[in-house]
Amino acid sequence: MKKCLWVMFSAAVLASAQGLKPEAIVHPAKDSWPTYNGDYSGKRFSTLQQIDRKNVGSLGMVWAFQTDVNTGPGIKATPLLVDGTLYFTEPDDVWAVDARSGQQRWHYHYHSNEGLHIGQRGLGMYGEHLYFETPDAHLLCLDARSGEVQWDKVLADVKLGYWATMAPLVIGRHVLAGVAGDFNDLHGFLDCFDAETGELQWRWDSLPKPGEAGSETWPKNSDAMQHGGGMTWLTGTYDPELNLLFWGTANPNPVLDGSLRPGDNLYTCTIVALNPDTGKLVWHFQPSPHDVHDWDAVQTPVLYDGLFEGKQRKLLFQASRNGYYFVLDRITGKPLLSVPYEEINWSAGVNAQGQPIGKTEKYPSAAGTLVEPDAIGSTNWMAPSFNPQTGLLYVDTHDSYSLYYAYSTGKPEGFGGRDLTVWSHCYLRAIDYQTGKSKWKHDLGSGWDWSGVLSTAGGLVFSADVHGNILALDADSGKTLWHAYGGGPAQGPPITYELDGRQYLVVGSHGVLFAFALPEKLVEETAAVH
Amino acid sequence: MKFALNVHDVNDVFMMVARALPRDPFSMRLMVLALLSLPLVAQDPSGTSQQASLSAAATAGRAVFRPTCGFCHGPDARGASGPDLLRSALVSHDVNGNLIGPVIRSGRPEKGMPAFQLTDTQIANIAAFLHGQAKIAASVAQRIPSEYLLEKLLIGNAAEGKEFFAGKGGCKTCHSVTGDLAHIAAKYKPFDLQTRLVFPAGAKPSLRVTTAAGETVSGEQVYADEFLVTLRDKNGWQHTFRRAGVKVQEDDPLAAHEKLLKTYTDKNVHDLFAYLETLK
Repeated sequence: MKKCLWVMFSAAVLASAQGLKPEAIVHPAKDSWPTYNGDYSGKRFSTLQQIDRKNVGSLGMVWAFQTDVNTGPGIKATPLLVDGTLYFTEPDDVWAVDARSGQQRWHYHYHSNEGLHIGQRGLGMYGEHLYFETPDAHLLCLDARSGEVQWDKVLADVKLGYWATMAPLVIGRHVLAGVAGDFNDLHGFLDCFDAETGELQWRWDSLPKPGEAGSETWPKNSDAMQHGGGMTWLTGTYDPELNLLFWGTANPNPVLDGSLRPGDNLYTCTIVALNPDTGKLVWHFQPSPHDVHDWDAVQTPVLYDGLFEGKQRKLLFQASRNGYYFVLDRITGKPLLSVPYEEINWSAGVNAQGQPIGKTEKYPSAAGTLVEPDAIGSTNWMAPSFNPQTGLLYVDTHDSYSLYYAYSTGKPEGFGGRDLTVWSHCYLRAIDYQTGKSKWKHDLGSGWDWSGVLSTAGGLVFSADVHGNILALDADSGKTLWHAYGGGPAQGPPITYELDGRQYLVVGSHGVLFAFALPEKLVEETAAVH
Repeated sequence: MKFALNVHDVNDVFMMVARALPRDPFSMRLMVLALLSLPLVAQDPSGTSQQASLSAAATAGRAVFRPTCGFCHGPDARGASGPDLLRSALVSHDVNGNLIGPVIRSGRPEKGMPAFQLTDTQIANIAAFLHGQAKIAASVAQRIPSEYLLEKLLIGNAAEGKEFFAGKGGCKTCHSVTGDLAHIAAKYKPFDLQTRLVFPAGAKPSLRVTTAAGETVSGEQVYADEFLVTLRDKNGWQHTFRRAGVKVQEDDPLAAHEKLLKTYTDKNVHDLFAYLETLK
């Protein structure tokens, strides 16, 4: 153990000279959390097991970092951890905090702006550069040592109704940055910038141009396709072996009124595989053809190499906002399984292409249509976690009912209507990746839960309930083993890492970032046993 | 509190809504649910909707726009043979006609748009109209108008709604149209009545807690998670108990409504609404 620690410390010292090397993301060290999802696969699974089922009840607070930002959405960011420094965000703010002490290293505050301040989900890092998307849809490059701005690029025009919330993804010298905005009829795209210079390397448009593949899924002789939505507001995943980038796109526009956009509306509500060097589309799969419920397909495409129906395959899973769980072959995009993982009432089954068939009588209407789930969906941006040891995908799900109204006068613009949730209840579900069936579901309470999920080799799943109780559950049974209330909604997804031989759990609760660990004496005893 | 809105106010309300509500849909939706559960007197201050309307300048602008521009851009500026101006980058960046004006006065001959010699005031008014239209379109995305037209909702069959109420719906078990539901259609706006019949959020469960020592405490639930329950007793004091050490009996008045959610068809909902709407 001592030798092990020494090697780790040497690595840390070496690494500190250059920040984060891109190749370190491929196999993240246990003293790091270098991307939004902790690695490229989107599993949010840690091999750390110092904190386990037996001792998790002794978990205690090590430090709390107060952002002192008391208005706004609070911490929704997944922090990065590199060289003992945590980097995390709120919409107009970036902090660098010492991961051992909770002391601030620096704080960057962006100028006031008219972008939508709905949330900020974190940063990307390359060498000593941090990448930050602002509410008014700029991409900033900050110096990780000081927080000073190195460059500032406009992603999209805030005046048109764009905003940005996502954590950029770094692949080699590529920085991938998506955009948001569906109150107006805009078009989505994914931009790729040079990590050093900030020059645009390529742009992939979510909507085809007239005559291109996919344009046949839109009406002709109308501008519906150019204004058809397809935002790219959540971080995708990457397979270095295939050199493929996987990204989910958001809903079409007008959101709830599809009357002027008959057709499947590609590439909205779609999982796309892109070549990260060129931005060229390799394959696509559309979970919600012709969506009219705001159920985008941006949820993390989780990557796993494992058995499916007895055969070893390169798989991609998504628990999608429309309530369906999809398993795809990620080499070809071929669907292997499409089944509901939460209760829904809008679908008449699946077509030959593995896509859910929407019942037209469940479209929004002037008189109101009762649909399960609401527009927030069966899940949303809450990060799921996959534990290869249990074979379970842990997802924060909502079972909800909503009355959907379509009520534009004249031509629909933007939303073309709105839904009103009448009832919502939340669960943490443990979904068998091969069948889509829940092995267990843990009741998280009434309302809307927005907590991300982390699973570990200690046999634990970390998340939070609707009240803000941070929870540690038994990965096999879903039984609660530990909890702590952080004083606000715990929407900052949990991460874990090991520093100085001690495993930390870090979770955001409204404006406070908490670090938990086992008592030092117990850490020493655990080390002696291992 | 009633708002009489001009475009400036609509802007403020929109920005307030855009800044405050969508950033926390959780609170927004809880707030909406909570407000819908309040008695009638508390309905108006909720501001469930401020129907956006046009200012004097915008109204004057519309009067110029329709005959001058409406033939190509549509009477509501949402496009016809010419582009939809609500989706125009130029219009989005315009301030009081500073960008729109030159286009109107020079035209876009290459695209078939002639020049129009309008006054500064006419152009400023057209700008006010276009910005007002954009805000009205955006406000549709923010919230459902609570002054929702009854005729839009009234598509069901009241007789079949009555049958459902008395029979399959099981409504009679808890409700009476001459008792708690008497004149219900006069108490709630149509939109709110429909929401409440689907699920009348807000009613709190009654709890009866029996301690290990055999003592019982009853009251309305204030808080409940998987670890603790808090109730308010009849004297107004709150008591919190660890679930692990006590027995909790819960009487949830909404349990039957939760079950109905899983079985309601849209026809049931609209028939039931049509029936309850007769109870003026």
